[in-house]
Amino acid sequence: MEKFAVLIVDDEVDFVETMVKRLKDKGLDVEGVHSGKEALKILNARDFDVCVLDVKMPGIDGIEALAEMKKKRPYMEVIMLTGHGSVESGVRGLQLGAYDYIMKPVPFADLLKKIISAYERKVIEEEREREK
Amino acid sequence: MAEQQIGNVIYRVLRAHLVSILILLSGIPLYLRAGELFAAGAVLLAVVSFFMTRGLTRELRKSRRQRRLLEDQLARTHKLASIDELSSGIAHEINNPLGIIAQEVQWIEHILKNSSGDKLKEKEDFGESLKVISLQVDRCKEIVHKILSLAGELKPVIQRIEINDLIDHITDVVKIDAAAKQIQIIREFQPTLPPICSDPPLLRQVVLNLLVNATQAIERDGEITVSTRCMDDTSIEITIEDTGCGIPEENLDKIFTPFFSTKPTGKGTGLGLALCRGIIEKLGGSIAVTSDVGKCTAFTINLPVERPQEGEVE
Repeated sequence: MEKFAVLIVDDEVDFVETMVKRLKDKGLDVEGVHSGKEALKILNARDFDVCVLDVKMPGIDGIEALAEMKKKRPYMEVIMLTGHGSVESGVRGLQLGAYDYIMKPVPFADLLKKIISAYERKVIEEEREREK
Repeated sequence: MAEQQIGNVIYRVLRAHLVSILILLSGIPLYLRAGELFAAGAVLLAVVSFFMTRGLTRELRKSRRQRRLLEDQLARTHKLASIDELSSGIAHEINNPLGIIAQEVQWIEHILKNSSGDKLKEKEDFGESLKVISLQVDRCKEIVHKILSLAGELKPVIQRIEINDLIDHITDVVKIDAAAKQIQIIREFQPTLPPICSDPPLLRQVVLNLLVNATQAIERDGEITVSTRCMDDTSIEITIEDTGCGIPEENLDKIFTPFFSTKPTGKGTGLGLALCRGIIEKLGGSIAVTSDVGKCTAFTINLPVERPQEGEVE
């Protein structure tokens, strides 16, 4: 599998640790943070190809964070994860440009498939921009 | 009128050649006796036919040019009418939240002017007003976003999709809201659907929008059936059917029009279904609605299976 960069953003520390470990095991470049604020800070310093972003977090919630992320890193694909299934957040997230909106719990294999698919979309979009 | 003219032209060309052919055939016995004279006559006829045909072809091209010009003018007129309609819809929808914001600002000014010294109460009032303002700003942003999407900012990125998986996962998003209203979600997916080439996030937007509408159409105790099937080798069909209140027949052909809404003011922008149609058509498909008032409504999407595009991913 091609190496690309993934950012995990979730206030559940265990979830972030597990995801970072498992994705690194697949050969990906992975970082994990626990809030929208930390995510925006790290995006000031570096780029990622895909972000897995929790919707419900203290401070800046996932939807606010998504809107800011799209301004800083417009080509980064964002997969939103939610444990409580807010339809409004789903609709809003997709309108703001999220690649997907998934209910937790999601099997790792399914999430990995979506991460890879999101990365492939990013590659296509970047190629299209270069050809302009 | 144009068709009649083209028909006339074709008839005249054929007639010109038919006359030449008949003369040639009837001239065979003559040729045997007066060959040279006949040959000269035949050549003259051929030359006349050639110039007639050329003239007729020019007329045909001129008719086609005029027809294209007329069609362009008609399209521009329709566009202007649509812009006019869209502008009033935009003005109406944006003016509503702006009006509410203006009221809240006046209320804040009033509080500041008539400050009673009860700081806690004032803080609460400010907080409430700011929340209302923030909601209305979000509403404006949503309207603008949808308008831009409708205006053609959609740029699909085509990927190969297992449509059953996509719909299955996005349907999970409405599960909780549906369960709260005792609405059963039934999934009837054809198992052997071919993968399609389309834009996954845009399709998710459409399906989620339709599912949300279906959930809202049912007050309590109902069913939403989400189904997929392969129509033939070239297209697949996705249907979202609810057992809700239905749509009156007089509204069915307006339902995809921007800013048309049957919801109370402030609930929805009237752009959701217009955007759905815009997205599906951009993806090379079609969307239609059927409804029985008081019984059910079904939205049916048809999408092409293969759409060779830049950036198709294997």
